Amino acid sequence: MEYRELEMSTPNGELGKSAQSAAGKTSKTPNQGQKGRLATHGRLEQIIVAVVIVVAMAALPSLHIGYRFLSIAITTGYTAIALYGLGLQFGQAGIMSVGHAAMIGIGAYVAAMLFVHFGVGFWVALPASIIVAAIAGGLVGLPSLRVAGQHYIIITFCFCALLVVCLTNGGSLTGAATGLDVGSIGSVFGINFDKLANYYYLVLVALALSLAIFYAIANSSYGRTLRAIRENEQLARAIGVNIDLQKISVFMVSGAFAGAAGILQAYYLRHISPTLYGAFPSLYLALMVMLGGARLIYGPLIGAIIVNFLPEVMNLNPVDSRIAYGVALLIVILLLPGGVSAGLLDIYRWLTARSRALFGKAGLAP
Amino acid sequence: MAALEITGLRKAFGGVVALDGVDLSIPGDKITGVIGPNGSGKTTLFNVITGVFPPTSGRIEWQGEDITGMRSHQIARKGLIRTFQQAMSFPGLTVLENVRVAMERGERRGAGAGPRWPSAEAILDFVGLAGRGQEEAGSMPFGNLRRLGVAVALAANPVLLLLDEPAAGLSDNEANTLTELIIKLPQMGIGVCLIDHHMTFMTALCTRLVVLDFGTKIADGAPAGVLKDPKVTEVYLGGEL
Repeated sequence: MEYRELEMSTPNGELGKSAQSAAGKTSKTPNQGQKGRLATHGRLEQIIVAVVIVVAMAALPSLHIGYRFLSIAITTGYTAIALYGLGLQFGQAGIMSVGHAAMIGIGAYVAAMLFVHFGVGFWVALPASIIVAAIAGGLVGLPSLRVAGQHYIIITFCFCALLVVCLTNGGSLTGAATGLDVGSIGSVFGINFDKLANYYYLVLVALALSLAIFYAIANSSYGRTLRAIRENEQLARAIGVNIDLQKISVFMVSGAFAGAAGILQAYYLRHISPTLYGAFPSLYLALMVMLGGARLIYGPLIGAIIVNFLPEVMNLNPVDSRIAYGVALLIVILLLPGGVSAGLLDIYRWLTARSRALFGKAGLAP
Repeated sequence: MAALEITGLRKAFGGVVALDGVDLSIPGDKITGVIGPNGSGKTTLFNVITGVFPPTSGRIEWQGEDITGMRSHQIARKGLIRTFQQAMSFPGLTVLENVRVAMERGERRGAGAGPRWPSAEAILDFVGLAGRGQEEAGSMPFGNLRRLGVAVALAANPVLLLLDEPAAGLSDNEANTLTELIIKLPQMGIGVCLIDHHMTFMTALCTRLVVLDFGTKIADGAPAGVLKDPKVTEVYLGGEL
């Protein structure tokens, strides 16, 4: 997976380059060739990594980690779902958004409003949230056909602010500044989702699904077309790619992920209010996706884990943690333009190259 | 029969008239060259044909269909594929992926007049980039980037290929290889229309030359005749010698 030429990297891309060449001679082996794809190492290794992650995450509740830790794990889970959408939009199509919390908000509010005003429960509201958020994503994406780069990023930010204003002034429809109360999912097939561990599993299943969709898209011809648009719009148009259609489609996909995240958040918190979807949460989403790395399969997940767990593990208060994120983001942009996930992959490649050099080619060949 | 029929094409950017009533027909089975001094409207001609911007007035017909004012990707899907003056690629993708993106578009359109390439690798072979499929396009030297540009355009399954200064910046040796490549295209069912300044390159390739000056066509015909035309020598050499 190529990440070096990440849009954010500009003058410091060189640093990333030297970091990669330091990553060893692997960059010359034919196996390395699948740049731009997610599959850089062997299929077996990928499966092992995926199994380890799934087992570790599934085992979490049975480790008696406590209510608080599990709560953060759930938050991390649904945030990561939204990040996988943003990861496709930013990593594949190259269009960043700093108003993505608004999309989550739309998903959450659709679910909450359906519950409060029509008594509609989780399972019916789920597709509604996804569809409405997807449509909203497409609409917010429309200006991107006219304006690019930073200008579009500002528009996403404005949209997010606009949504908060609308929700706050929505009267009884949106519950105004107080927000809305949401019911519980209750029991389905004997599984009681009021139990925290069970809700965690629900989020985990949704997360696994998002991961799979992310992987499938990034490795499909659709993903390749998106990357082509990211790399050179003019050329893509000249070979017959309908840029507008493709861009709107990825905004819709990204919105759909956020919609799913939104309803999971609403039914987890049981109460939502406009402040959850304002500027700060949006910036955090952008921060997470850049920290973790948008182009690699585990990037968004790593970003979500770091940002959600770091203050807890290091016992930081909100002010200190914001400073820490700021510093972390600077470091990542300067030294690891592909995010932490790309950095880890570099280390992994360096280690395998090293072990191959030490133990001979037969040693640890993938 | 002319594949591309242009009548009274005019393009003005504010007060600057880049194309001033050009009539031109380009056949789909030959190599047609467009020459002219800098600023004579050659690239604008390509841009208007391929829908980068709409003409101010005039009509463009492609295989009997009016394509005036259509959008770039729609025109590309009809088999009119262009390359760019600056060697362009998808720099972050591999060479093979570059070709595959284009090939998918070509295949989706169905059979064109051109050859059906068995694989993306076959196209790379054809343009002389065999074995370089796994390289990152952005890290290739300039000459190879030009070849890749042609490979991507060919992969998009063109009926008529519009090449905008394909030899610009190439060494004589590289230009010769490119000549050998382009000259094969009409036999494969791909019409070529190319812009270039490189005269030896153009005369070696083209069966017909069109000369533009200040947005108007001043000569059109076989290369030998056109280059002797006093209007053409005046434009290039500044009048009687």
